[in-house]
Parts: sequence; C-alpha cells; structure tokens
Amino acid sequence: MARIPASYLTNRMITLVLTVLIAATLIWIIPRLSGLDPASAALGRMAAGGGSVANADQILAQLRETFGLDQPLLVQYLLYIKNTLTLDFGLSTASFPTPVSAMIANALPWTIGLMLISLVVTFIIGNLLGALMVWEHTPRLWKAAIPVAMVFTSVPPILSGLLLMYVFSTQLRWFPLSGPYGLNVEPGWTIDFAGSVLYHGFLPALSIVVVTFGFWALGMRGLMITVQGEDYTTLAKAKGLRPRYILYRYMIRNAILPQITAFALKIGMLVAGQVLVERIFAYPGMGKLLYDAILTQDYPVIQGVSFVIILMTALAVFLVDLIYPFIDPRIRHGG
Amino acid sequence: MTILDLKNVSIDFPTSAGVVHAVTNVSLSVGKGRRVGFIGESGSGKTTTALSAMRMLASPGFVAGGEIHLNSLPQSNLLKLGAEEMRRVRLSKISYIPQGAMNSLNPVMRVENQIWDGIVAHEGGVPQDELRRRSDAALASVGLDPKVVAPLYPHELSGGMKQRVCIAIGVCLNPDLIIADEPTSALDVITQRHVMQTLRDVQAKIGAGLILIGHDMGLMAQSVDEIAVLKKGELVEFGPVRQIIETPEHPYTKELISSVPQVGGASFLDPAPAAPARGDAADNGQPLLELRAVSKRYGSVTALHPMSFTLDGEVPKIISIVGQSGSGKSTMGSLMLGFNDPSSGAVLFKGRDINRQSADEALSFRKEVQAVFQDPYACFNPFYRVNHALKFPFERFGLSRNAAHTREAMEEACRAVGLAPETVLGRYPHQLSGGQRQRLIVARALMLSPKLLIADEPVSMVDASLRATILKNIHDLKDRHGISIIYITHDLATAYHVSDYVMVLHKGHVVEAGPPREVIGDPRHAYTQLLISSIPWPDLDRDWGSSDDARAALDRLEQLEGRPETILRGDIPGFTLSQG
Repeated sequence: MARIPASYLTNRMITLVLTVLIAATLIWIIPRLSGLDPASAALGRMAAGGGSVANADQILAQLRETFGLDQPLLVQYLLYIKNTLTLDFGLSTASFPTPVSAMIANALPWTIGLMLISLVVTFIIGNLLGALMVWEHTPRLWKAAIPVAMVFTSVPPILSGLLLMYVFSTQLRWFPLSGPYGLNVEPGWTIDFAGSVLYHGFLPALSIVVVTFGFWALGMRGLMITVQGEDYTTLAKAKGLRPRYILYRYMIRNAILPQITAFALKIGMLVAGQVLVERIFAYPGMGKLLYDAILTQDYPVIQGVSFVIILMTALAVFLVDLIYPFIDPRIRHGG
Repeated sequence: MTILDLKNVSIDFPTSAGVVHAVTNVSLSVGKGRRVGFIGESGSGKTTTALSAMRMLASPGFVAGGEIHLNSLPQSNLLKLGAEEMRRVRLSKISYIPQGAMNSLNPVMRVENQIWDGIVAHEGGVPQDELRRRSDAALASVGLDPKVVAPLYPHELSGGMKQRVCIAIGVCLNPDLIIADEPTSALDVITQRHVMQTLRDVQAKIGAGLILIGHDMGLMAQSVDEIAVLKKGELVEFGPVRQIIETPEHPYTKELISSVPQVGGASFLDPAPAAPARGDAADNGQPLLELRAVSKRYGSVTALHPMSFTLDGEVPKIISIVGQSGSGKSTMGSLMLGFNDPSSGAVLFKGRDINRQSADEALSFRKEVQAVFQDPYACFNPFYRVNHALKFPFERFGLSRNAAHTREAMEEACRAVGLAPETVLGRYPHQLSGGQRQRLIVARALMLSPKLLIADEPVSMVDASLRATILKNIHDLKDRHGISIIYITHDLATAYHVSDYVMVLHKGHVVEAGPPREVIGDPRHAYTQLLISSIPWPDLDRDWGSSDDARAALDRLEQLEGRPETILRGDIPGFTLSQG
C-alpha cells in the first residue's frame, strides 16, 4: 500500500476549501434574500419586552453599527468570510451579547458525544443484523425476529423517545427524564460526572438507535445478497473455510465498503442532531441550539450552526477519500 | 481403484411451480488419477452433479436419492457426513476450481492470504514461514512467480493468472479429487491452452482424480480420459474418450461433436441455397463503409494503429475481425458504430463521415447500421416484454404503417431466425434462453433492413449446439437479405466458415489478412499460427502440445511486439485493406 501522494492530497485539500467557501457564501446570501432586518427585529423584541422604547432611531443605528450592517455589502461579506474562517460567528442576537462560537462550543460536545455514540452503535448493530438476515447459518429464530424488529424503523424518533421516556423514566424509573447530567454532580473530569452523563445519555441514544438501525440493516442486506452470489463466496465455501470466517472476512468485509461512504456522510449530518430528540430530552446539543435559534430568528447562530454542519460533512468526506484506498485495494489515490 | 462413486444419484429442486428433477439416476465412477469430463449444455445438470459431491448444491436443491462415496474416507458415504465433517473434506479431499475466473478471488485479500486461509482452516495453526513456503510452492506449481504474484491483489492479475491462482488453491492440500467447472470458459484460446495444460500437469503430479465440466467437445478431447455426456439431468453416454469421440452412440453426443466448428473439413453451416442476393448499388458510387487511416488511442495506450479499408456494398460480404482480448477488435467495432471518435482518420458510411453528420443523417445511419453484441442477457430491458425491443426501433424509424403491420413484421423476423413467434413474443427476457434472446437480437436488427450489421462476439456466450444455428441466421442475413456483415470474434474456426475475408488483429495491428482458406487454413504469421494451434478440437491424434510449449508460445507472443507490416494473403473483389 503506497503512501498518499502529495499531489492527490493537495487536490483533495483544494476541493475541501472550495466546498467550504462556496457553502459559507451561500449561508451568507440566503438570509439576506429574505429582506428581514435583524436590527429591527432586535428592536422589536426590546419593545415587546419593555412596552415601548425611547430614542428608537438612535438605538436602531447603534444596533446596525454593532452588527456591522452599516457597512457596504462587499465589506460585510469579506468580513464575514474572514470571521467565519476563524470560527468567529459574531454575537447572538437573541442572547445578546453571547458570542455564537461560545454557544456552539458549549453545544457541540454534547451532540458529538450523543450522536457519535449512537451513530457508531447503530452502524455496528444495523450492519450486523443486516448481514445476519442473509447469512445461511443464522439461527432461524434470529432470521424471523430481525425483520419484525425493523418495524421500529418506521417510527419517528420523537415517538420512540416519548415511548422510552414513558416506560423507563415515568413507569420503571430506571433512567432520568431529561437533562444531560444529574443536578447532584458538578461538571468536570470526574468519574461521578462521566457516569451521570452516560446514565442521562442512555435513553436519548437508545431512542435514536432503535429507529435508525433499520436504515443500515436494509442497506447491508441488499449488499450481502449481492456478495453471497459472488463466485469468491462460493469458492470460500469450497475451500472448507469456517462459516464465521467466511461471514466476516469474505462477505461482510466486501459488503461493508459502500456502507462506509454512507457512514461518512452521516457523520456530517449528525451535528445537526436529532433536533426533536434533543428537544424532548432537554439535551443542550446543536439540535436544540438550532431549534431555539430558528424560533428567535437568531441569524448568527443559524449561520454558525449551518457552517459547522458543512465543515463536518466536508471533513468527513475528505477523510473517507483518504482512507478508502486502505480499505479497498482496488481504489487508488490519484491514478 | 476408484476415488469417487456416484450411485443412482438424483437431485431435486423444489420450486413453487413443482419439483424440478435436475439430475436423475446418474451412476458413474472417477478412477484415481483419472480425468473425467462432464459435458452437456447449460441446464444439463453437469455442474449440479459435480457440486453434489461437495455437498454445495444451490438452495433449495438436495440429493433426493442415491449415494455418493469418496473412497479415501473411512466413512465413505459423503451424504452421511455432518456439516463440520463435510467442511473438513472440502479442499483437503475434494477441491473446486470455479468457472468465473474473473471473480473467484476475494477482491480485498492478497493472493497469498487466500491460499493461507485454506490451509489454516484445515490444519489449524501453521507457522508463518511454513505457510509462505507452501503458498510459494503452490504458486510455482502453476507457473506463477511467487515473489511477484503472492503479495498482489486479484485486480492486479490477468484472467489467466487469476485462474491459475484458483488452481494453486485447489491443489495446495493435495486433494484426492479436483472438480474444475469450465475453468477456461472466460479465457482466450492461447491462455486456455496454457491453463488447461497447467491443470493437467499438477493433477497428474499429485495423482488426484479430475472432473472437468465443460460444453466444448474439442477441449474435452484434448484434456480427459473418459467422458460423461449429460442431457436434461440424465447420463446418456459414458465411456473412454476415444470411444465417445470416434464412435458415439447417442444422437446427442453426435450432435455435440458435430457442433464444434473445425478449421478445414466440411462446412459446419448447411451450405445455404444462395439466392444471389444483391445489396443496393452503392449510393452515387460511394463505398458502403470506408476507414481512412483510422487509429484510436486511450491515453498513452494505442488500441488501434492507423489502418484503412474500403468495403463496397454491391455484393454483400462477411468480413471477420479476429484476435484475442485486447487486440483492438472491439475498438474497431465501436469506431465503425460511431460510439467512439477515432483519434485520427475518419470512418465513412456511404461517403459521409459518421462523426460529422446532421441529426437526420445520424438517424438514417443508425437505421442502416445495426449491431449484435456479445451478451444476450444485457441487451434487453428486463422490465419490458421482448416485443418492446423489437417494436420500438421499427416504429421509431417510421417503418410501421400500423399495429398489425408491426406485428406482421415481428412475426416474419422471428421466423427468419428460426423462432416460432407464438413461443417468444409477449414474453419477458428472463423467460427465454440465451440462444432465443440472441436470435431475437438478430431478428430486431433484421426488421430494420439494415445495409450493414456489426456483430461483436455474437455467439461466445451461447451453448455450442446453438452457435451453429445463430451463425447460420447471421449468414442468411447476407445471402437472403443482402446485408454486409462485420463479424468480430476470437473464434477462428467460426470465422473460417462464415467469412469471405479475415483480418487477424494483434495489439492494434492487422498482422495477417485475406480469404479464410489462406489465412486460417494455412497461416503464415507467427501469431495466427499460434492462435490456430491453440484451438482444441475433437481429434485425439492431434498434438495439443505440453504446458512448456504453451508457455514458450506465450513468450514468443510477447516478442512479436510492434511488427507493423501486414501479411496480405490475397484479395476479394469489393474489399481493399491497407495499413497506415
């Protein structure tokens, strides 16, 4: 296996930067097409809060200056690009004057923790079950049970979340109802805190796993059927290899390849979170941040979150491009 | 001393439409160190019978009756073994060399690992250097250099190399019986001879019995000691190869033997009562097809070196282009169909450059130049009935007067290729056999009354007994319907019988050209000679050479690199060829 050639790496990096730049530009343009004025919106909220506002014109001008809206469009754009690339998304309009980057920095670890764990768990369980649906040595009971379990795939996560909350929190009282960690622990790198986080994260993660594993299982099933019909699977059997070895090294090993691409795309998307799952479990992640920002027309936050989503997707695709030749020898860097 | 005994074996496939008796009452034995050929058409049960000895029947098939004994086992009845016991028998006692050489190796594993995992599955923990020593020995025994090949991935090997790796896997545990399922059907004749002789050599060395499954009587005659002829799941004839080939008793065996086209000898097509068909007098004196110094490069690879020819359409002719895979013959076909632009030169149809036509001219070009391709399975849209494939171009080109007329034309075309319209029309492609589908493709082309037909390997994927029929259909297009044909093939024997003129292509050069009786009957160029000596045919007294000869021949082929001059062996009226 050759090392990654420099020309290929440069090529992919340029693509990565261009993708991110174009996406950032679109994020900047689209809200401006709506014609809404964030300064007026902020003033409106002040007025709604205080009954009336004195010196409205001065405050409006002050707000415009603070937000940089008095500058020419090109200057605004260049400033925006510079800020975005340094991950400075400005100040939230709804929770003025909190910096957006701080809000994202607070929310991102929660989402990445919850979503990455549930995605990895779903990926493993889903693909394994999908493979078992096809494998000829799967016990009959499993073969019958897996398709039944697929019924959950058609349940929206919000319903599965509510159902799990009802059963495990309200009735059985095994798990807490909401929040990212218990009120009795101090956030910090302690075992108590970590335990509390895992304990609180269990139900939201489970509600996502239960409804999304079918996506992987069904995809894997189709791929496995193809691989099962391949001559190399027949030859593997004719070589007298052990059934489990054939399953892992010949069948799953080949069938999993397209699933890995899908996995990378999902990593990007997971930052957006399962918005409603975070909402019902009152989980302070990116999904909840985005949801609240949309309700309060908090453009800087929406832009910041969108940018992070794009950045993650582009990075994940970039990484897959780099590692793919190492997992599939038929693909070469460059070439 | 026999190694394998089949006693009254019957194999059933229960389906929703009732039980299919794939194999009925087959009894035969394979002697130690003997080679037995299983021959028959697709669906004759030859592979099913052989796979039953490995207990690897495709679901839902099962052995409904009889016994299968492998005599080297203490408990010889294979059907009585448990799943784990059977697993231990595979590869160590009975090994299998699969048909699809292209796809038989795990694409994500190195060659050596695929030999090691077989050894480890049967012998448990074997030290790494011992594994390497044995995989190297196995690869060397099939004529592959272990240093080069062992660490490669399958996609880095040619078809012939992959098939030899499969043989290396099959012999690495010195089995008592080797089952080779059409091991060379995807290879060209030169590679076929090399692989077949390698297989014979290693089999003789380890003294294993060999079951060779195939449909080519010629290959059988050159490769086995005994032949079992199967038809529709029944063993119709079984005996020593000389007796089967020279004094066949069953009519089906005779048919199989006579369906092998041989160079020389009686025409294997029924000489058609040649109604002197004439093509159109060429439009304003322009030739039907002309290539002017056409060449094709893909990146730095030259697929076709500059060549020119002129084919007039006054008297229809069949021009054969023969060569191995990679010789540039299919590139020529796609250039003539206008699917590819030439890198230099021009392709002219009736005096017009086919890559510079107006939309109207392009449409009429598409009607007048039709194609038949290799894979009759891939040529139909599986979601439509076959009528659609026949009807659509006919209506699209405005040839149809009304629905009844279309129907009439479809039925007539079916009859012209020897198909009963009521049995094929209205059915879906998957309900028809490969031969029926390929004949429908010919019928579809015929409905448009083209001037030129380009047939790219039209019979390489159909059973030997049907080849003659389809080639006869194509031949009739020339004789009865006045269509000129470019016949692209790797099969020199069929080219010998159908064509008026043959061009032999090697690495993008025409190395030899002329009437088939000269070029194929008495080849002068080393490459043509090699091709012809590699063809297996049912003649037991013919020396097919040893595997060393075959390897030497392959080496000679390498040294033929870049010999641009063509050996011209005579002309026929209405066709001229020149290199450059």
